[in-house]
This record gives sequence, structure tokens and C-alpha cells, in this order.
Amino acid sequence: MPQNTHALDSLPPRSQWARFLHAANVIECLALAESFNKQFQVEDIQRPESGLALLRNRDGARGEDYFLGEIPVARAHIRLFLNGEAMAEGGAQILDDRTPLARAIAILDAVLANRLPGHEQVTQLLNQGQQHIEQQQAQRQVLLSSTLVDFSLLGNDEDDHND
Amino acid sequence: MGYVAIKGGADAINGAERAMEILRTAEGEQGEPLTLSAIEHQLRLLTSRVVSEGGLYHPKLAALAIKQAQGDTLEAAFALRAYRSTKPRLLETPPQDTRKMRLIRRISSAFKDIPGGQMLGPTFDYALRLMRLDLATERPEDFRKIAGSFLARSPNAPVADSFPKVVDTLRAEGLLPPLHSRQCDPFDVTREPLVFPVPRSAALATMARAETGSLLAIAYSSMRGYGDIHPTIAELRVGYLPIELPHPVTGEMTEAGEVLVTECEVVAMYEADSAGKRPTFTLGYGACFGHNEVKAISMAILDRSLQKGMADGPANPSEDPEFVLLHVDGVDAMGFASHYKMPHYVTFQSDMDRLRTTQKAHDQALEPSPHQTERAAQ
Repeated sequence: MPQNTHALDSLPPRSQWARFLHAANVIECLALAESFNKQFQVEDIQRPESGLALLRNRDGARGEDYFLGEIPVARAHIRLFLNGEAMAEGGAQILDDRTPLARAIAILDAVLANRLPGHEQVTQLLNQGQQHIEQQQAQRQVLLSSTLVDFSLLGNDEDDHND
Repeated sequence: MGYVAIKGGADAINGAERAMEILRTAEGEQGEPLTLSAIEHQLRLLTSRVVSEGGLYHPKLAALAIKQAQGDTLEAAFALRAYRSTKPRLLETPPQDTRKMRLIRRISSAFKDIPGGQMLGPTFDYALRLMRLDLATERPEDFRKIAGSFLARSPNAPVADSFPKVVDTLRAEGLLPPLHSRQCDPFDVTREPLVFPVPRSAALATMARAETGSLLAIAYSSMRGYGDIHPTIAELRVGYLPIELPHPVTGEMTEAGEVLVTECEVVAMYEADSAGKRPTFTLGYGACFGHNEVKAISMAILDRSLQKGMADGPANPSEDPEFVLLHVDGVDAMGFASHYKMPHYVTFQSDMDRLRTTQKAHDQALEPSPHQTERAAQ
């Protein structure tokens, strides 16, 4: 299978693509993937599916693993063909229960990872999702920065009491 | 217990469902249906309770469950659990590291200064518990301005959102026991029944989806005196835990999304190791989906209580794994309480028959014998 090894320095790491694409406009994501679906032949390496994942967490007291609960997961693993020749593999696992969205992100992942024709549009969607997440991060930064507290001032006055 | 089948009740049952709908929509033409987004965001602490007690992190479905249950958290958690039981389980995540949590709140009552600083974040802790009458007449345009104006106050410099844990610092100083290096497969409370004794992972998983009030009540018994934990909060953190799963193609750990989590570590009384090692503080751990600090703190206290009970034998109810773990699940407890509303006509008829027989025997025993009657007449 030909793999394009172009440097993707300007892009965020592939480990963040699913997160960013998931944060982009869902309708645009599905529409773009559908356009690639017409351009390439898409084969499901693993049947796209949605269900639950058991969330394994490590406790902070003794470092033992336990299950915090369950989370929704949708996943897809596809291969793109052009003129019968395998072009690229893509995959996605997202916290969502929409199987078509996971498959769409897997297609976009394959196109972008291999810089296939149309990857610029995927980059745009990626940027859109990244901006959305950066806005979210900015909101959280305000929550933190505006509530930074210095308890070291406690105890300087006679009236202060420590429980 | 015994039950009888109900016949001829279908119309009444359908009518009861309609009656619930009528009350939900009783505002009539003046009313607006609650949107799921409004429930998820404006009643976010309620949504948090339901995702945690339902054991499934799905805030949108939790909001739907709250709407459907008309605000009853137990019914909503039940609906969420019923939903999850219809879904296939695809995978188990690798162990997630809560040090990577993107925090919105972080406090310690053990230390004034902690690496990275303390951020109060969103909390009612320092608010006056007085009615905010302005909310009763809040206008949509005012409501919409609040978030925008608050967020305009962006910090001058970027602020870190993930921090080292306070307990890591204590551990580095040798004040805490080392972390376990060997991992066992955790106990899955959704697939296996609790048969005692159970491992600690079963206790943590059970408490993570326990009903908040139940956990609080038993933890409170420990706080008030039926226990000897004396906890201090090393750290309480609220934030978004990035969930990392392997990429289907590269195998590289890839962020699949994030989950709002509340986590608490409490430092408790120190104890000398029986093997003669250096004394160290003991720790309790609590965590749950959503923003629910009372639950995480209660869980951390009970974790420590249960560790003590498992090691030395329970000295009070909060240290007894069977007592705690079998009585904190809201859906279980609600189901048992609610089942008393179902027809018990056969069992109660039997109780009445036995009572009448016993009363008759009692009355006969009190009736004077012919000999006593004769003597009384003399």
C-alpha cells in the first residue's frame, strides 16, 4: 500500500485529529467524508460500531486500577482505494454514539494522513475544531485565573482561625 | 414476599402515564418544553448526579432522563442504566491518568501553598446561602450576556490547566506509602455480583456509581463519631479527564474525548506498618463522573474506612464493606422501597389470617375457665 510520508509539521499531531474533527461542525464533517466516499472506494477493515467502553482509572491513593463507569464510544477503521489500488488507512475512536460520524472521521483521517487530493478541506475542518477547543480552553482559563486564591495570607490577622 | 398478577389494569396504567404527562405539561399554552441543552447546562449539578449514579457518562442522555423523570434523580439514573444495558460493550480503556485532567477547580485544605496554586473555580463554598430573588425575574437578554462578559476577562498570560498532585509531593517526602506496582484486573460491578469479601476495586466502582445521599449519610456517621478517620483533604479537583484510546491504524494513544470528573484524596490518621516499617499517613480516594464534590469527599472517607475495616475487621458500620456497599446503590435501594407499592394482597391476607388466629388464642387465654367463674360467683 503506498503511504505518503510527507512531513506534516504544520498540522497538529495525528493523535489530536479525532478530537479536533469531533469538535468541528458535524454536518460539514459528514458532507466532506461523503464527498471522499464518492471519490474513493471505502472499505471497512472493521465494521463501524458504537457502544460502550468501560473506563479504567487508577486511584490516587494506592495506585490500584478500578472502573469509574462507562462511556459511549463509536469507532471505525477503513481503507481507501482509488482505481482498485489501496491508498490509505484511517481510523477513529470517539466518545460519541454516532457510528456514521466515527466513520466520517476515519475517512478524513486517512485522507489527511496521506495528503490525498482534498486534504486541504480536511485541514480547514481540523482548524475549525481546533479553534472551538481553544475557545473552550480559554473559558476554562478564565475560570482558573479569576479564582486563583492565596490562602497564605490566612493567619496573618489575629481574627483568622484555622479549624 | 408474594405477588399477584394484575388483571384488567392496562387502562389505568396507561392513564397513569398520561396523568404524569399532563402534570409535566400543566403550564399549558404558556409553557415551553425544557430543552436538553438547558437541563445539561443550567441544571449541570443535577446532570452530574445522574451521569455518576447512572454509571454512564452521557450528559445529553442524562438530561433527557431528567426531563423524562421530571427531576427525580433516582428514576433518571434508572433510565440511564436501562439504556446502557441495551448497548454492546466494545472495549475497556487502558488505565487513564487523572494527572492529565484539565482542571476548572483545585483546592487543598491540607496546605496553603500547593504547586501550581489553588483555584476556587466554580463553587458555592464561599457564597451566601441567601435566595437570589433576581433570578426569579431573569430576562433572556440578561442571561445571555453573563457568560460573554465573564469570558472577556481573559488572563494576560496562559494559565496551566493540569497540575501535579498534592499526594505525589507527600509521597516524594516519604509521608505516604508507595504506590502499588502490580495491577490486578479490576472488579466489574456491572457484570459480577458482590460476594464478600470483595477487592478494593469493587468497592471503588460501587461507590463511584452510588447514590450521593447514601454515601454522604454513611460517611457522615464516620465524621460524627462512628469512625476514626479524621480526614484532611489533600486535594479536591474538578476537571475534564482526556480519554486516550489507541488509534486503529497507528496504535498511538489518541484522545477520543474528555469526561468531567471530580476527584478527591483525603489524608487520614497515620499508622505504623505491622512489619515494622516507617509510619506513614493513610489515604482515602474518591472519584465520580460529573461535578459532585460531596460525593467524591464522602467516597474518599468511606474508602479509607473500608480499607481499615478490611484490614482490621469493622469496628463500626462505615468500616463494614457489606454494610456500606450493599446499601449505597440508589437504583437498588429505590427499587426495593418502590416494590412495596406493588400489590402484596396475598402476603398481607396471610398476615391478617395469622393475626386473627393469634388474637383468638390470646382472647381465649384471657377468658376465665368455668372453675374460675364458679369461684368468682362464691
